[in-house]
Amino acid sequence: MQRYIVTRIFYALISLVLLSMTIFCLVRVTGDPAILMAEPGASEEDLQAIRREFGLDKPWPIQYVSFVQSMIRGDFGTSIYYRVPAFELYLQRLPASLELAIWAMVISLIVGIPIGIIAAVRVNTWFDKVGNVFANLGLALPSFWVGLMLILLFSVYLRLLPSAGSGTVKHILMPAFALGWVFAASHMRLARSAMLEVLGSEYVKLARIKGLSETLVIAKHAFKNAIIPVLTFAGINLALIVNGAVVVESVFAWPGIGRLLYEGVSFRDFPVVQVTVIMGGLMIVAVNLVVDILYAYIDPRIHYG
Amino acid sequence: MHRITWRLLLGLSLILLLVVSVQVGDAASPPKGQMTWAIHFTIAPTFLDPGETAGITSFLFLYALHDGLVKSMPGNPRAPSLAESWSESKDGLTYEFKLRQGVTFHNGDPLTAEDVKFSLHRFHGTGASIFKSKLKDVEIVNPHQVRIHLKEPWPDFMTYLGTPATSIGWIVPKKYLEQVGDDGFKKHPIGAGPYKFVSQKQGIELVLEAYEGYWRKTPHVKTLIMRSIPDDSTRLAMLKTGEADIAYAMMGSTAEEVKNDPNLELAYSYGRGIFFFFFNEQADPKSPWHDLRVRQAFNYAIDRQALSEQQTLGASPPTGNIVPQSFEFALPIEAYPYDPEKAKQLLKEAGYPKGFNAGDITSGPPYHALAEGVANYLQAVGIRSRVLPMERAALISALKEKRLKGLTSAGSGTLGNAATRLEPYVISSGDFPRITYPDIDELFKKQSVERDYKKREALLHQIQQLVHDRAMYAPLYELVWPNGVGPRVAVSGFGLIPSYYYTGPYEDIRLKE
Repeated sequence: MQRYIVTRIFYALISLVLLSMTIFCLVRVTGDPAILMAEPGASEEDLQAIRREFGLDKPWPIQYVSFVQSMIRGDFGTSIYYRVPAFELYLQRLPASLELAIWAMVISLIVGIPIGIIAAVRVNTWFDKVGNVFANLGLALPSFWVGLMLILLFSVYLRLLPSAGSGTVKHILMPAFALGWVFAASHMRLARSAMLEVLGSEYVKLARIKGLSETLVIAKHAFKNAIIPVLTFAGINLALIVNGAVVVESVFAWPGIGRLLYEGVSFRDFPVVQVTVIMGGLMIVAVNLVVDILYAYIDPRIHYG
Repeated sequence: MHRITWRLLLGLSLILLLVVSVQVGDAASPPKGQMTWAIHFTIAPTFLDPGETAGITSFLFLYALHDGLVKSMPGNPRAPSLAESWSESKDGLTYEFKLRQGVTFHNGDPLTAEDVKFSLHRFHGTGASIFKSKLKDVEIVNPHQVRIHLKEPWPDFMTYLGTPATSIGWIVPKKYLEQVGDDGFKKHPIGAGPYKFVSQKQGIELVLEAYEGYWRKTPHVKTLIMRSIPDDSTRLAMLKTGEADIAYAMMGSTAEEVKNDPNLELAYSYGRGIFFFFFNEQADPKSPWHDLRVRQAFNYAIDRQALSEQQTLGASPPTGNIVPQSFEFALPIEAYPYDPEKAKQLLKEAGYPKGFNAGDITSGPPYHALAEGVANYLQAVGIRSRVLPMERAALISALKEKRLKGLTSAGSGTLGNAATRLEPYVISSGDFPRITYPDIDELFKKQSVERDYKKREALLHQIQQLVHDRAMYAPLYELVWPNGVGPRVAVSGFGLIPSYYYTGPYEDIRLKE
């Protein structure tokens, strides 16, 4: 078991190193950021001074080593656009993203699981078909379009919710739904297939033969088992929601890290891009690592070697 | 008789009392209400520091928080502000500014010549290099008088100092800045403008409150909220729901929406940005764009008026010059007429009877639709191309580094005069020229030291004519943006300051009663 955990941690570290190298190179191949930071008409000496200030005058391998050393100390450099530490900006925006992600996750679970379970129990009925349409739409419709339609309906026509910004529960409902729908769809499909599998299993058949009521069979025996993969999947998805809300955060002017990443890419503010991508990667790798280790504890079939 | 006189006096007194009370009431009425702006870009803390102004964008905030010695104001592109008056020595080497007395910063500190000297030396934004290369010394004559000594006559000095071409002449409080440092200043700026800083969420929101001690007048609106809303549909929704009172950059279909909504008003930004196309490979003899006839064919192939209708509801006038016609020393040049047959003829003469593949048209947001429109017109005369959208910063960087091929759809919004507009694009020392000519460089050098207005104008006209004759660029139109104004606003401030894109002056902006 210990060896398994060490191996998984090793793979996680390899993933992070590869991610840091990729993002480090990608943000630099688009050109020299010193030119953007300098005033128009700046001389070569001015540009060189900026390169020196930000360490851009050194060869890439040296820049990378220094980048990793600083990163370990929590120093991701200074934002070129904001002129404040990039990590400070990230930490300022993280709570808003976490708040949005939790709401989106709650909505996706509240909507996705019941629909999935009922669709499985009433398989091939009209409810199942409507549920499938809901899931397909959630997966197919781009979240920015969903966001704009929600704004049009609930803000412009019904005047019920504010169209952008943050601060109250009213502000969060639309972005959380726009972000949560796609996850609600995947949770619904997973809950439906897991439930169908459980309903067809021997122990459920046995429960029915024993004469237990259908409600009891579904609620006590089937549901509990069907919900496990959904919740596991939701845990992994949470990290994705926190880091993947770039479009929704931009549409709703939500002050999270998705919008920060959008700004970083727009202004080629590479310290900001680096911190958002690496911290996002770290979050996803950490969640996957925890899930892998927990699975190994729970399910003895997983091979430790 | 006595009774009539008495009644007359009483009546006149009442009228006088009424008039005086109305005037006093108007002048002394405290600021009230709140207005919200939905801004199309991210609000960076550097925008709040006049020492770091990199372009026109910063002025949207500077006009609220800070004040300049001389600045563009309604009816006067170079209006005395913190400087009551100024004079230029006969040799053009010294400028003397008399400061307005009794002006205080938002923290109550008086604004003095020390602050002016400190601000001029501290400035490191756009224009700092040229300013510092010309500046000899800043002399404090007394707390309310400053002399700026130059190394050589500089005809554009007041353009750099007193217009939104740069923020060199915008004054910061020396004492406060020395206490809090540059970073602290950006986090909590203090200025001498009509609005004082209340709070900010970096990149998201800025809250300002009226400064009742502002020398020019007490602002009408108490609280201003500037929100960064990158998505244009969201800005439109905020305007419709009343969450925003002013929404910037309502382009294309969103402008139509504003126009069709009886509660909203369309207001235009007359900043005189010019939209033009770069022929990136014109210096390369192997490129089709090297041939003047091909560049002219491009110009005849485009229907500029139709593009203006499509993008800005027809507000942007087509032009044949990269210098706005309202600029000092601008040469009025008519836009090329839309003549696709002539374009085809020119291509045939240049050896491309079936057209050619022009590669990419690189374009920056939010103008990709404009580039698509141009690509369609080019296709119609046989020039095949595809639009390659790039982020604005990456596009500017690639343009500066001359890494782009094919065509680029871009433009310039920097204010100033014809010389400041031409410099980055046509002079060999400029940031963006795709090709340079010794005769243009020579003419530019001559005009930069020519103090006779008429002679300088003639030189700058000559350069503009050469740029046009050689089709170094393909100007499309003078960009006039549509913006949205909500129903609560009485005076939005659009169009009050000459050749200025944004709302201002803020102290003149009013809400309806």
